[in-house]
Amino acid sequence: MWEQIGQALNQSMVRVLSQLASLLPGILALILALLVSAVVAGVLAAVLRRSLMSVEFDRRLPRWGFPTLAEWSPSKSPTLLVTRAIALIIMLIGFLVGVSAFDVALTSQLVMRLFEYLPNVLAAVVVLVAGTIIARFLARSVLIGAVNMNLQYAPLLSAGVKWLVMVLAVAMALEHLAIGGGIIRMAFAILFGGIVLALALAVGLGSKELVSRSLEREASRTAAQGSREPVSHL
Amino acid sequence: MALDTVPQPELGQIEGMGGADLVVGLLDAEHKGDAGAACGMVHEAIGRLSTAVRAVVVSNNSTGNPAPTGQPAAGDSQSSSVLYYSLPEPKAAGTPFERLMDAYQVVFAVGGRLGARACCVIRSEPRTLTPQWIWRLVQPVLEMGFDLVAPRYTRLKMEGLLNRSILSPLSRALYGERVQNPMGPDFGLSGKLLDRILGENALKRQGFPIHPVASMVSTTVGGGLQICESSLGTRVQPPTNWADVSSLLAQVLGPVFLDVESNAPSWQRIRGSRPVPGFGALEPASAEGGGVDVSRMLESFQLGTQTLQDVWGLVLPPGTIIELRKLSRLPAEQFRMTDDLWASIVYDFVLGHRLRTISRDHLLRSMTPIYLGWIASYAIELETAGPQDVEIRLEQLSAAYEDRKPYLLSRWRWPDRFNP
Repeated sequence: MWEQIGQALNQSMVRVLSQLASLLPGILALILALLVSAVVAGVLAAVLRRSLMSVEFDRRLPRWGFPTLAEWSPSKSPTLLVTRAIALIIMLIGFLVGVSAFDVALTSQLVMRLFEYLPNVLAAVVVLVAGTIIARFLARSVLIGAVNMNLQYAPLLSAGVKWLVMVLAVAMALEHLAIGGGIIRMAFAILFGGIVLALALAVGLGSKELVSRSLEREASRTAAQGSREPVSHL
Repeated sequence: MALDTVPQPELGQIEGMGGADLVVGLLDAEHKGDAGAACGMVHEAIGRLSTAVRAVVVSNNSTGNPAPTGQPAAGDSQSSSVLYYSLPEPKAAGTPFERLMDAYQVVFAVGGRLGARACCVIRSEPRTLTPQWIWRLVQPVLEMGFDLVAPRYTRLKMEGLLNRSILSPLSRALYGERVQNPMGPDFGLSGKLLDRILGENALKRQGFPIHPVASMVSTTVGGGLQICESSLGTRVQPPTNWADVSSLLAQVLGPVFLDVESNAPSWQRIRGSRPVPGFGALEPASAEGGGVDVSRMLESFQLGTQTLQDVWGLVLPPGTIIELRKLSRLPAEQFRMTDDLWASIVYDFVLGHRLRTISRDHLLRSMTPIYLGWIASYAIELETAGPQDVEIRLEQLSAAYEDRKPYLLSRWRWPDRFNP
């Protein structure tokens, strides 16, 4: 009986060791992939950091419409944030490549799904960035236009336009990420529709007289000024 | 637009004219010119010149009289003759200002094609136009050898404010010539200047948009050519559209700031300024014209100071913004924008335009409340002033632009050092 037990233990040990041995190339491949990706990430991050510093990325970023990014960044440097994010993404890709080398069905599927999902993430990021830029541009246009029309509620109008575009961009980004599905769509429709309806009601009913008085006053003052004053510009 | 956009039959007619000594462009905005009257006026004007002149009148009166193109249209003088050519219908696209610039281009191109010794462009309304105007713009070119004749107008103190507050002092500080109306809009040009403008246009067509009026003085100074001024009298202008001042600023200052950018190597070498020769006596301006209601301008300035700080902060240094905020808290009777502050602000916007800190259209439109603030300050300060006081005051403003030019030079050369 002791012999049988010994044999069983031997066989199980051989099985475990052979399985471990079969995993060894995968582990080595994972380590190698991590090492290579770390080197690539380091080089790329260094080159990127130098390039961004040469174009004064930290200083220019607020002007491009991302003034708050510096606050979220390590050492308040968006350059560091970007380079570290890029390095992390490369390390992650290296890790996924290494994991897929195990040739295990589950990990392969996981990796494949993650890679399939990547374009959605990229599209969502692009939509968010574009949405932020467009929102800022439109908000500035509305603000300047409204101030030049002497509208006291110019900042409110500008903020309204900005947040409408941002909400739209976030909804589109979530749609790309396939997060929330129908709930997001429905919430967005309700929110957007609600804002428009509220504005329509405010202008159409609640503020009808106020708005009409304000517009009449502006029009009459403009007309009066144009006709009364001997002012010309050129 | 130049001659390549003129339809082939019309182009053939222009070339068929052979040549001309003088090309007169009549570009009234409303297209209501009368071909016969225009030719008559030109004929009378050139009749006063000492030599015989063959003149071609180019008008944008596209509905006026297309038939007599290339035929003598007026006058029977044995020495001088006048031919008439009507510009094709302007493109519907573009702003009125852009269409006007296109019309200038066509007149210059016609002048170049005909090898004209002089070219005269009149944009002012036809009801103010007299043969004297044409003669005063043409005679210094044809008989005295000047290359650019800029206009001088009799103006009330609240007229030509954009010109008085920015265009004239900026041009004087940058190019060193004291021209009262650097953007005309009525000009006399020599054939030499015409060739230079056409040559520069061909070079710049790829890079910068072409705005011949904005670059008139800089092109003349850059080419070492001679400038003078002629007094034309009173210029009638349509009433100000207060609802669209920001568009006016964007349309006028955009080309001017572009011209400053493209001529940077030239104006950086120029120091000081000199008066230009003037011809013709200017009728004295009326002392009337005061009593402007500045409350709306001040409201606009205050609203801008409260709400546009984020936008201005991208262009103006913190010190200037603090000054503007202090100014916005002052009561109307104490409201004064100093010349140094105003000149610095204009220079900061010139630099902001060059650096594209924000969209150029946004930048120029955001200047509107500050410009209205300057008008309010000017109106309050000169409420009871006479024409002489106005001239003295404007001379002080121009001197402030010259004094602040080193500031522009420093910021232009090292924009980061001064970056807000």
